[in-house]
Amino acid sequence: MKNTKLTNYLMILGWVMLALVLSAPVATAAEKPVVIGLQGPITGPWAYEGQMAKQSCEIAAELINQKGGILGGRMIELRVVDDAGEPKTGALAATKLVGQKDVVAVVSTYGSSVCEPASNIYERYKKVNIGYGVTAVRLTQRDFKYFFRTCGRDDSQGKFFADDVPKRFNAKRIAVMHDNTAFGKGLAEDTKRGLEPLIAAGTAEIVYFDAITPGEKDFRVILTKLRETQPDVWYFTGYYAEAALLISQAREIGIKCPFVGGNAAINDEFVKIAGLDIAKGCYMTNEPLPGDLPYAEAKEFLKAYKEKFGEIPSSPWPIYAADALNIIADAVDKTGSTKSDVLAEFLRNKADGVPGITGPIGFTAQGDREGVPFYLYMVDDQGKIVVAE
Amino acid sequence: MQVKKIAGFDRIFYFRKKTFLGLLILFGAYPFLVSNYYIDIGFFFGIYALLGLSLNIVLGEVGLFDLGHAGFYAIGAYTTAILNTKCGIPIFILLPVSALAAALFAYMVCSPIIHLRGDYLCIVTIGMGEIVRLALINNPLDLTGGPNGVFGIDFPSVGNIFVIDSSIEYYFLIWVAVALSIYGLSRLQQSRIGRAWNCIREDEVAAKANGIDVRYYKLLAFVLGAALAGVAGNIYASKLMCVSPESFTFWESCLMFCIVLIGGMGSIPGVLIGAAAISLFPEIFRPFAMYRMLVFGGAMILMMVFRPGGIWPRKRGISGK
Amino acid sequence: MQVVFEQIINGLTIGSFYGLIALGYSMVYGVLKLINFAHGDFFALGSYLGYTLLIFGSAFVTSLFGLWGGMIAAMLVAAICLAFVGILVERVAYRPIYPAGRLPAVVSALGASIILQNVIMVIWGPRYQAYPAKLIPNIHLQVWGVHITVLQLVILLLSFFIMAVLYYIIQRTTFGAAIRASAMDRDTAALMGINFNKVIFFIFTLGPALGALTGVMVGMYYRQISFTMGWNYGLKAFTATILGGIGNLPGAMFGGLILGVLEMLGAAYISAAWKDVFVFLILIMVLIFRPTGLFGETTAEKV
Repeated sequence: MKNTKLTNYLMILGWVMLALVLSAPVATAAEKPVVIGLQGPITGPWAYEGQMAKQSCEIAAELINQKGGILGGRMIELRVVDDAGEPKTGALAATKLVGQKDVVAVVSTYGSSVCEPASNIYERYKKVNIGYGVTAVRLTQRDFKYFFRTCGRDDSQGKFFADDVPKRFNAKRIAVMHDNTAFGKGLAEDTKRGLEPLIAAGTAEIVYFDAITPGEKDFRVILTKLRETQPDVWYFTGYYAEAALLISQAREIGIKCPFVGGNAAINDEFVKIAGLDIAKGCYMTNEPLPGDLPYAEAKEFLKAYKEKFGEIPSSPWPIYAADALNIIADAVDKTGSTKSDVLAEFLRNKADGVPGITGPIGFTAQGDREGVPFYLYMVDDQGKIVVAE
Repeated sequence: MQVKKIAGFDRIFYFRKKTFLGLLILFGAYPFLVSNYYIDIGFFFGIYALLGLSLNIVLGEVGLFDLGHAGFYAIGAYTTAILNTKCGIPIFILLPVSALAAALFAYMVCSPIIHLRGDYLCIVTIGMGEIVRLALINNPLDLTGGPNGVFGIDFPSVGNIFVIDSSIEYYFLIWVAVALSIYGLSRLQQSRIGRAWNCIREDEVAAKANGIDVRYYKLLAFVLGAALAGVAGNIYASKLMCVSPESFTFWESCLMFCIVLIGGMGSIPGVLIGAAAISLFPEIFRPFAMYRMLVFGGAMILMMVFRPGGIWPRKRGISGK
Repeated sequence: MQVVFEQIINGLTIGSFYGLIALGYSMVYGVLKLINFAHGDFFALGSYLGYTLLIFGSAFVTSLFGLWGGMIAAMLVAAICLAFVGILVERVAYRPIYPAGRLPAVVSALGASIILQNVIMVIWGPRYQAYPAKLIPNIHLQVWGVHITVLQLVILLLSFFIMAVLYYIIQRTTFGAAIRASAMDRDTAALMGINFNKVIFFIFTLGPALGALTGVMVGMYYRQISFTMGWNYGLKAFTATILGGIGNLPGAMFGGLILGVLEMLGAAYISAAWKDVFVFLILIMVLIFRPTGLFGETTAEKV
């Protein structure tokens, strides 16, 4: 009886569909808390970043709630969705959040190529979304109404490098190396652009410009090539995992020039992997690290973070996630509204110098953060990352 | 067996009209009952179904191991993305263009390697898929946008009147494409071509001895499979409005492989079930959070232990076992 | 010229990793005709075990046997653990599926790979782990202007030694003949009185154990390990297996070494970003002209 069997399969398929229908969230009328979404890579290759962002947002929300919440006593509730650091899942995650009517605005996300499709969806469904680890320049050049970011852009960092580093080291021959990720390549290209005036003036020269493959472990070949170009300074715009390998292998084969990393290249993990002997004296261009932030908000936040999780975030990005949440809360509080249009309008035009963990927050007309400061950091003899003199 | 000479669709599904209608109503009504998020899951289910169908031609019908199918998918998606953003050609016109581009690519790449057997072919397809992905990352001629990918892709539209821009419309777009492919493929299975394919899969030497042009039919399978994957790429690109190399990894090829095998080699309803399993499982298991993929892997093993032939293996009528 | 030598030595080092992993692939493939996708993850798991052993057992072992003793102990313990894991995976994921043919086993292997990878992530966390720098000897040598580290030298010698031993076992002992016979024709071999289960047991203990050894070596060489690294190395090692001719053990070793050197030279003299493209192109070229790999038998395979 073939057909009974077949009907069984259809029944199963039907049940699966039915289960999906039923498990779809029924719009709840819980009006009390103000819900803010967080889209981040909770799993996948960037799970580390996503989980720190989640923790940071939790702390930020807790701090606000301890002070009595916003809008005269409404608490903030964080709703986390996972985008696995992947464009497709990112789009799904965004759809999930825009489908939940009680989500006021979203902190989203880490990684520019994940942010792209997600922010398209937020834009279409008119939901304010604030990126915290998305530095590709083009994201804010799309004339989007609801997209903002609390972090800097690639070119601000590239420009800082060009202004500061060649002068500081008296370096003429500059090597730029990136890792072919959206972020690393973007930063490298913007650095090149930033160096152009110097090149035109003849005071600098890019002697090396190439990519490594992330996830790779052996860079000796590329480094041998680098050694031959005899750079005065070497700028690597990728991530700490590769940076640590690069620098240990470079010193091994006798490259002695100063190493400058981009803002994802150097953190405590970097020092741990490279070992203190090699890591000390390495530089990085960076937004001020959590611990160096002079603001009262930062001290309070980090104290609370450390109490709960035992350490402070080891990368700069999670702090921007917390700040994105803060500015959303602030906007909701000040406008007294949870409507996207009102919030977007407020963030774009009226939010200015709102105190945040990473300093005063304000946005340009495109939605970029206004005035993100950069510092040159270095690893000192104890393996601590301190502001370079 | 009440199946005798009924052609195409009916024969493949062994459906009675009632069950078929029921299924149609279920798929049709589904998006009106749930939120956008679940419609989008339905959409990606459709994408995987289309990809599964396309790989099923190569792997299921002819038995050629292809673990680089994401390469064809990528070619389709990038053709759409680049021609749409750089030249402003509408998405619907690019649909056949993407299919052709992927097919042409498959033809060029596969002609020199089609004589390889079994696992040697398998590694070459893996290599091909990786080459495509790496090339996209390295941004040749400044076309592919490197790791950032290409962005700002339009919605599919006919003039200004008919624009596909909501989740529901995309859902129907992909499922109409899937339905048409199923219809076409089920006809193909019964045709001379389909029988030649199955014959090659069962015994290549015998097929050759019977006068089947093995090389031609193998290439044909690759070309058709790639074309269908190109169509999937086109729809995927316009849905996400941007493409980036992260979406076309070796892992994606492996998922397609699993779709065909979990469903049952060469079985069209099997592919649908396989695609459902692959795209819905991770969503259903979301509550397991960190352990989600553990459960997923375990389910894959269990599935193969208890139903090694797939959930809905192909029933053989005339040809094969 | 020194630079070329340096590149070749780097290539040989990384190639010996590929070769050692490829041996595991090749043994399983030769006997069972199964592409063991979980093999790369055996390697990653071995690397993590070695890491934990070095961190927690280091003080104890190194006080007894010194720095090198600690390393060897970590390698051995990791290898033994992985031999058990290998058997476990074979029993759970592969054995029930043998009768069904090869394709279902591919899905099952992918499932096992996902599980192993996520087990690592759950136990050790998603971040990178670093082998402790102070536990690893770091002495540089300069021979005729060529930079080389003692660790590199040790890795190379150890890998060649392992390969030689394995070569001897497979080619010169009765048991090796049994393995080769099973690889050629399983049924006939069984008729000749070869205990097939014993052969399977052997390849599923030795393969993962070799993977684990390699994992610890990779950990010490690069000092940094991640839970996803099994995929990368697995794919490369599989490529090496095919390059050398599938099921041919010396072929797998040479395939690995050739792949490593090609990769390094490609990166050095063509482009670092395009080097994997270059490697795969070479592979495809080789297969077009020698459809069964560099050292594979020329007889057509009956599918």
